[in-house]
Amino acid sequence: MVCSACHRLVADLDTDYFTLLGLERTYDVDGAVLRKAYLRVSRETHPDRFDASDADEAMQLNARLNEANRVLKDPVLRAEYLLELSGGQSSAENREVPQEILTYTLMTREEIEEAHAANDAGALARIRDQATARHDGTAAEIGALARRLPGDATLRGQLRDALNAMKYHQRILAALDGTDE
Amino acid sequence: MPAHEPIIGIDLGTTFSLVSFCDERGPRILRDERGEGRLPSVIGVTHGSDGKPSIAIGWSARAHAVENARATVYSIKRLIGKSLAEIEQELPFLAYAVTSGPRETIQIEIDGRRYSPEEISSAILRSLKERAAAALGVAVTKAVITVPAYFDDAQRQATRDAASAAGLEVLRILNEPTAAALAYGIGLRERAAADDPETDRQQVAGGANGHVALPMPKCSDSVPADGGEDDIDDADEQLIAVYDLGGGTFDVSILRLEDGVFEVLSTAGDTHLGGDDFDREIITLVTAEVREQFGVDVQSPTARQALRGLAESVKIRLSEAEDASLELDLGEGRLYRRVLTRGEFERRLLPLVRRTLTLCERALRDAGLRRDELTQVVLVGGSTRIPLVRAQVAEHFGKAPYTALNPDEVVALGAGVQASILSGQRSDMLLLDVTPLSLGIETMGGAVGKIILRNARIPCRAQEMFTTFMDGQTAIKIRVLQGERELAAHCRLLAEFELREIPPMPAGIPKVQVEFLIDANGILNVSAVEQRSGQRAAIQVIPNRGLTRAEVERIEQESIAFAKDDIDAHRRIDLVNQIVFDTQKAEQMLARVGSGVDGALRREIEREMASLRAMARDPSDLDALHAALDHFGKRTLPLAEAGVRTALVQGGTQMAREETTTADQRNPEE
Repeated sequence: MVCSACHRLVADLDTDYFTLLGLERTYDVDGAVLRKAYLRVSRETHPDRFDASDADEAMQLNARLNEANRVLKDPVLRAEYLLELSGGQSSAENREVPQEILTYTLMTREEIEEAHAANDAGALARIRDQATARHDGTAAEIGALARRLPGDATLRGQLRDALNAMKYHQRILAALDGTDE
Repeated sequence: MPAHEPIIGIDLGTTFSLVSFCDERGPRILRDERGEGRLPSVIGVTHGSDGKPSIAIGWSARAHAVENARATVYSIKRLIGKSLAEIEQELPFLAYAVTSGPRETIQIEIDGRRYSPEEISSAILRSLKERAAAALGVAVTKAVITVPAYFDDAQRQATRDAASAAGLEVLRILNEPTAAALAYGIGLRERAAADDPETDRQQVAGGANGHVALPMPKCSDSVPADGGEDDIDDADEQLIAVYDLGGGTFDVSILRLEDGVFEVLSTAGDTHLGGDDFDREIITLVTAEVREQFGVDVQSPTARQALRGLAESVKIRLSEAEDASLELDLGEGRLYRRVLTRGEFERRLLPLVRRTLTLCERALRDAGLRRDELTQVVLVGGSTRIPLVRAQVAEHFGKAPYTALNPDEVVALGAGVQASILSGQRSDMLLLDVTPLSLGIETMGGAVGKIILRNARIPCRAQEMFTTFMDGQTAIKIRVLQGERELAAHCRLLAEFELREIPPMPAGIPKVQVEFLIDANGILNVSAVEQRSGQRAAIQVIPNRGLTRAEVERIEQESIAFAKDDIDAHRRIDLVNQIVFDTQKAEQMLARVGSGVDGALRREIEREMASLRAMARDPSDLDALHAALDHFGKRTLPLAEAGVRTALVQGGTQMAREETTTADQRNPEE
């Protein structure tokens, strides 16, 4: 990305996140390896390293690099991204969620409110255990499906469903933590 | 590397500002002729007999703050980039007049002329720029300027505008805690290597020349050879919290330091929490007690300014002493007196200090860390000298905070380090920072759709697609907000953008892709493209606060006119002080040498002395004054020689005593 002869930035803003970071395109990304790759590319391409003539391009490239790091670090976002690369539907194109998840979410939110109102720590702990189990189960399902990408349309559809459901599980946990503000 | 134009580092503080420069010897604070690094962030406007305003900056403005209360502007950093509504709670504490300007900006009114906060800040920046130029012996036009990490877009832009009006190109707006980490990081790295805190302390504190020891590797050392990243040893990793409590703002940043990379993991803060608020606890206490005892309010600008100065000095004394006495002359024989104990003061401060600790917890949570995972807690900012702050931080984090560098200077030193990184001098260090606040777009019903979350690494960008809802619609209005709340009304409206010149199409057909880029300065840039036509949509940026380009230019131009007045004012003060000093000295000499000087010479010196003193009382022609002073200096030369002879005869004691007196005379403001 940096020309060794002239120290000019030769940025290709269309490369995928894995290529940008010099990593193999796979669901299983080791956190430490990703971090080292991220720091290495940052060192080489950060806007601080370039004259004004290259600064805009470096800024764009680093914005993309930071986005790549954010996405690949997070298993759910990583699966979402791999699905996109495999030609699957995006969350904007398909927001469908099974009725069961919607019902579960509504009920759980009510239970959380009631437990808060009654100051019932035991109930909250039970809700949390259940929510965590469902969250972790969906996360495992996402991992298993993402490892089989690109797969066929059915597999990609299943992954889309699991990812859509995941949003609801994440929100329930955030509500329990009080971080959904 | 070719020689570069120097890039200076500036800490534009609420109470004090500093300027630094980093060369191969390391970063150093550039000091004034008295060796003082701090410049009070205070501006005083006075009017000459011709009615033209002249501006005093720094120590002299601060020294005359009480008698010139309505025309002395301080703590401008708390107002910059803000609207009047947002600073309402500040108003009772300001002795100068604040009014509302165009586009919800704030203006300061002095003797019928209005000044923007940017204009006031630019005067401080210009003074620092001149100091740097004098110290470095070359013109200076480029700078890294620090701001509180928690400053929003408007505050950052306003700071940049102020610099631009002072003729400074800002190469980087740098977050203060990050700057401190850069200055400290040098020490921490060496500390890890040396594993000897005492040696390190000396290295960090620097020698007599004020330099921070800083090994400067050659440029070629910086890019690791193939596989160089394998050398990264996890044992070198440091997780540090920078607790920065300054004059007006509080920031906490959590950083990971590894192999020269300073990675900010999260930041939290409050741009209205600092030493000023601690002073106000005392002010509020005194105001209430004065009302109780005498049935009057401390209302006149002069009294308010006097009380403010008193509160600040009491606060400082209570960091050393267990109690401090307060005295306020209310006129008409009314004297308010009381003793304030440290315990009493601390009880009033505690809620404020607790607020900072709550923010520390938020920063830790956002960084995904526990308190005990931190390897170091670093204290920055003058307010961290307060024993209660130190004790609370130590207790909260369960470790003694690290304070090797002067808390007043560390941010400016870090700005100098970043300047040297940008100039290409240092390539072994790299800073990766975050944006402190979430960025969002107002959606239907006044809700906020977040597009960039707080603590996202910068530069960062987000793309959003917009379309029309009416046939043939050619413009779309977008409101951009900053903040964590869910409703637009509770967030900070940064700007309204209008996407124009969209080709007329049926509703919902145009697809305008808007890119929001937060650059490495933490400042938002917006661009848009209509995807079906490939046409770039014109963006009309209507800044919600702050100055237009034309206004910045106007300030810059007017400041050139000001600059001459400023220089004259400075020169006048300097010359008059010099005359007072030289004539006193000559008088002492005449007395001491007695008959050792020729009678005719004595009479001549006495005559010139009288004439110089008369000129100093009404200094109109500065050049004539300068010439007269020069002549007097030559005339008294034989006297000085005679004085030295006498002193040698009388022994060294008197010389020593004389030096003490002259030192005092040189600092009439202290």
